[in-house]
Amino acid sequence: MIEFRQVSKTYPGSDNPVVTDLSFEVLEGEICVLVGPSGCGKTTTMRMVNRLIEITEGEILIDGEPNTAISGTQLRRKIGYAIQQIGLFPHRTIADNIGTVPHLLGWDKGRIRDRVDDLLELVGLSPGEYRDRYPAELSGGQQQRVGVARALAADPPIMLMDEPFGAVDPITRERLQDEFLRIQEDIKKTIVFVTHDIDEAIKMGNKIAILKQGGVLAQYDTPENILSRPDSEFVSSFVGADRVLKRLSLTRVGEMDLEQADGGTEGLPRISDRMTARAALSELLGSGQSSAVVEMEGENKLLTFEAIEALTSTAEQSA
Amino acid sequence: MSNLALLVQDVLEEPKLIDWEWLRENFWEDIVPAFQGHIFLSFVSVAIALLIALPVGVISSRYRKAYPPVTFVTGILYSIPSLALFAILISIPGVAIGPAPVIIALVAYSLLILIRNTVAGIDSVPPETIDAARGMGLTNRQILFRVELPLALPIIVAGIRIATVTIIGIATIGAYINGGGLGTLIFDGINRQFPTMIIAGAVLATAMAIAADLLLLGLERYLRPWARARRT
Repeated sequence: MIEFRQVSKTYPGSDNPVVTDLSFEVLEGEICVLVGPSGCGKTTTMRMVNRLIEITEGEILIDGEPNTAISGTQLRRKIGYAIQQIGLFPHRTIADNIGTVPHLLGWDKGRIRDRVDDLLELVGLSPGEYRDRYPAELSGGQQQRVGVARALAADPPIMLMDEPFGAVDPITRERLQDEFLRIQEDIKKTIVFVTHDIDEAIKMGNKIAILKQGGVLAQYDTPENILSRPDSEFVSSFVGADRVLKRLSLTRVGEMDLEQADGGTEGLPRISDRMTARAALSELLGSGQSSAVVEMEGENKLLTFEAIEALTSTAEQSA
Repeated sequence: MSNLALLVQDVLEEPKLIDWEWLRENFWEDIVPAFQGHIFLSFVSVAIALLIALPVGVISSRYRKAYPPVTFVTGILYSIPSLALFAILISIPGVAIGPAPVIIALVAYSLLILIRNTVAGIDSVPPETIDAARGMGLTNRQILFRVELPLALPIIVAGIRIATVTIIGIATIGAYINGGGLGTLIFDGINRQFPTMIIAGAVLATAMAIAADLLLLGLERYLRPWARARRT
């Protein structure tokens, strides 16, 4: 668990803090996304956790211990670190890159090699093919996978990720996000994740911390609550006028309560139960029909505009 | 036609440009020691210069305020005419003529190039690579030796190549103050009006410069396996 206690950061020679009196908790095994416009201090906030940037006031507790209890380098070896520009070592092989922190921690060679192979498998790169390559031989998406594998190398309980999927095309990003969420289901890391993209925040976060200029916490809550009950004008404008639609993207068609379809389904569009309600709505609008067929657990169910609308209103009620 | 023929005849009848007989007779006695002396002067000078330039370069890249005065001083050293520098050095009490002042001068000449390339090499390391290194818990020292210097290597070696070629050339002038080396052959040849010695000295110095350049290039390739790997 990571706990921010009235954390402020002011750079020497400046009167305006870049992070102001920040207090919140990141729970064990959760992804907390820091999001906000540029200059809101989200990256600074993340970098204070592993003391790449030192705090001016307040403290950050990791499992109850102030993060200043051990030296900065010792602390950083215990915290995974992945950044948008990846920063792979161009002069080291993929295996050496991933093995960086285990090597610093003094693991023996065999253990490092096994760990590297496991991690390459985990991020979907064949160890035999990629272990001995150099970063320049890999595509951007592959490099970002290696960057994530490297951050996971010493199995740190905490990870810091600064737009880790930022440097690739939207399709690859989407895939990397999905893969990472699948991995996270197993590894259950406590993650501080920085992005400027509210859609990525909604998708990746168990909790979202929306920051505004000067590193002031505007709202800290689950994606559902941020979308259904924005605290302020700032938050609602930041999440955008389409926040109702964004809420639909939190639900998959397979999770919806749908009616049985009894015949007469010819000519209706068919929709996968893996699709988000938002994508399903878009399909439905595009098809010109008023309902679509979803195959769920061997049964045909009927997806209607009413069903989607019910979703937005139940979200409103529960909120 | 006849003019040209006369000219050719003239050249041929002049004391021969290359006296193979002399080369054979004096090979072991004059040429080989001069060649060895030249290798010694150049190698020792580059080695000493590197021992000075690497730390100074690293410090200059860390403490940026130190860099302008460093380039100013080494720039002045670099711009002094070599003959004048030799003359100045041997006029210093305690510095006798011989190899020592030559090596001092050659070191002085290569400092600017080597320091500048060390700084440029370290500057060329991508900031995100250093950020990732620090974020994973490498110490400053580990970042320098495991990340910055290896990645700066191509630019540092490029500097060593230029410095070495320059030094091999200038070292010939060192013979003027009894520094030894291939310059001995050249100066003797001038004094005795014997072109064979001049040509032997010049050709060997040139060959040595080219060979050293290629060797260093090969060394750099060998030390940089990642540069051979290219995006597939």
